[in-house]
Amino acid sequence: MRPPLEFLMPPQIGAELIYSFVIIVCSLMVYYGTKELYELSSYKGIKYFRLAFLFFAVAYFFRYSIRFILSFFNIGTIHEFLPMSLGPMGPLTLFLFMYFSSMAVFYLLYSVMWKRWNGNSKMIYIFHAIAIIISVVSIISRRSDVLLGINILFLILISFVYYIAHKDSKTKKKGHNLYAVYMLLFVFWILNIIDILIPSFLQQFQLLIYLTSSGIFLTILYKVLKKVGN
Amino acid sequence: MVKRGKLEIIKDILKIIQENRNSIKPTPLLRKSKLSSLRFKEYYIELADKNLIKEITGKEREKFIILTEKGFKFLEKYKTIVNFIDEFEL
Repeated sequence: MRPPLEFLMPPQIGAELIYSFVIIVCSLMVYYGTKELYELSSYKGIKYFRLAFLFFAVAYFFRYSIRFILSFFNIGTIHEFLPMSLGPMGPLTLFLFMYFSSMAVFYLLYSVMWKRWNGNSKMIYIFHAIAIIISVVSIISRRSDVLLGINILFLILISFVYYIAHKDSKTKKKGHNLYAVYMLLFVFWILNIIDILIPSFLQQFQLLIYLTSSGIFLTILYKVLKKVGN
Repeated sequence: MVKRGKLEIIKDILKIIQENRNSIKPTPLLRKSKLSSLRFKEYYIELADKNLIKEITGKEREKFIILTEKGFKFLEKYKTIVNFIDEFEL
């Protein structure tokens, strides 16, 4: 028989909890650390940058919830958690995770692109629509290749848009290595999603993904706090 | 002449008020801000809405514009805001 603590929190869930905690705290510190700058300036770029990290925090909460559900009910993938058999908790959590994940990445992209798109707020509605479509497809489709394809396509699209933006950037200068940080964030974010949707696919690299993702969020937090002066 | 960004214009307007011992009439502020009256009006409304400036009435019922606490804070943090926007390419 498992000891009581191990029943409530198996070792892999403990590691997952620490990982999620680090990312959620980093994201919320970025969100609250930039609150004053936004309140004073009402600058759109800062607004969407902050929203991106708020959504990352929420997405990671649901990511942890999915991991907990899988471990607690001892099931292989979230898709085995059917609405008819065990209630809507599984699909709903997956929907929310995918929606907040996609919107976090879109908000981050929009925060660097809004000037080039002339502050067109219609783009935000388009992003919401795409995020909802991705979330619904993730629930309906159970084929690993479809889920993998969608996420790789998503990554290619975001990377391409951001690459074009960076290439034309007027602020591009020596020592500005944020491009690399953002690109790594996009790549590892998609790997985090794939890790949830197709757990067996990246099992061997899980620790590496966790450590690198934490490192990226800590780097961004460090840069934010250094600039904000807190 | 380089076109000023929105944040820079806001900073310039607030700076004019501050350098005028935090009290200036609307007409000299318009002149010193180097904006058209239409654009000045837009900024004036926006700054008042954001509670960065406020209007007070003098003894002889003339209007003065002064900075609010938030307005002073904006000037204090202006460089931080601009550096942050530049650093994160926002």
